[in-house]
Amino acid sequence: MSKQSQRVERDLTMSRGMVEAIAHEMRENDEVFYMGEDVADYGGIFDSTQGLLDEFGYDRIMDVPISETAYLGAAVGAAQEGMRPIAELMFVDFFGVAMDQIYNQMAKNTYMSGGNVSVPMVLTAAVGGTYNDAAQHSQTLYGTFAHVPGIKVVVPSTAYDAKGLMHNAIRDDDPVLYMFHKRLMGIGWMPAPDGPKTPVPEEDYTIPFGSADVKREGEDVTIVTLGLHVHRALEAAEQLADDGVDAEVVDLRSLVPLDTDTIVGSVEKTGRLVVVDEDYRSFGVTGEIVATVADESLAALDAVERVAVPDVPIPYARPLEQEVIPDVDDIAAAVERTQ
Amino acid sequence: MTDGSDRVAVTLEEWPDDADSEEGVVVNWFVREGAAVEASASLCEVQIEKVSLDVYAPVDGTLVEVVKAEDDEFVRGDTLGWLAP
Repeated sequence: MSKQSQRVERDLTMSRGMVEAIAHEMRENDEVFYMGEDVADYGGIFDSTQGLLDEFGYDRIMDVPISETAYLGAAVGAAQEGMRPIAELMFVDFFGVAMDQIYNQMAKNTYMSGGNVSVPMVLTAAVGGTYNDAAQHSQTLYGTFAHVPGIKVVVPSTAYDAKGLMHNAIRDDDPVLYMFHKRLMGIGWMPAPDGPKTPVPEEDYTIPFGSADVKREGEDVTIVTLGLHVHRALEAAEQLADDGVDAEVVDLRSLVPLDTDTIVGSVEKTGRLVVVDEDYRSFGVTGEIVATVADESLAALDAVERVAVPDVPIPYARPLEQEVIPDVDDIAAAVERTQ
Repeated sequence: MTDGSDRVAVTLEEWPDDADSEEGVVVNWFVREGAAVEASASLCEVQIEKVSLDVYAPVDGTLVEVVKAEDDEFVRGDTLGWLAP
């Protein structure tokens, strides 16, 4: 077989998909750099920057002291001056100490300056539980960030999506929060489900924000979800298929902007809506999606179910954490209730 | 290394100097059986004492067999898979 005729085929983990996009953008644009805690020598505690230090060195892959206020503020300033920083919040749970930088500076400076500055930065953050890291290291907080105007919010569920969404995030002229679920990254000590490792093209490509992806087509019910729970919903859909229920699984991929058309179009087809979220139930993604569908197409809704974390802190104890985070059976049971 | 046919063994080229253990675990395969790869492409990721290392294709070829699947343990020198040039 000649080299020309060989098609190179490979599957990547979600972390490698992310890193490949970052490396590509850093090669193309000297203004792109990455900073965060343990992102240089360690390569990111969830492999979010694995291998980047070797190619780009300490000036562009920067370990920072443990002051989220300082380095997220520095990222906002660098972005306003024309650089394209990627700043990593090691755990999204730590946002509280830098809430002013995120909620008031990063999100609002374009508005407050009357459009005189833009803030083209990416804030990356590890989210999610399922590995017994307790209440301060296990949240997703999707709703917290999708709530405030001024931040685009992206949540990949596969390696293919992670790469395309990261290319788009770095090239975007507005602040983007890129929330990657730890369980999907493909780390040795935290095995991912089978779904997130996908074929990934070597060349660059973008996935536009606000384009939900129908990961499974079905006629009987629409399951709207994101992140880890895309894979749990797909597993539930396979179980349900054995019982004759044909579920459609919509992966939001971004919360801001939200692809209302795809969600509403799917519910108008199936008549039944189940929203699955790893965030707290109240004032969050599940309520928002249900309200959006009710606003747009109330008559299409024959049945609605919400599956989310009850309004309690994520427990440390394994059986308790497993109880509060929605699993495959919880999703399947919610679907059954709509039939 | 060959097994008498034209197949080339896939092994971890260099065992880390600072590792006390002679055992590792396969974490991720990036190439499926039957897929074509170029020499030095990353075929899989292994862990030895919690440190991740990539295993690279020794030659251009097709991955004809995965011997050690994901989550399988292996010892130093084990054949992890076979490439047909």
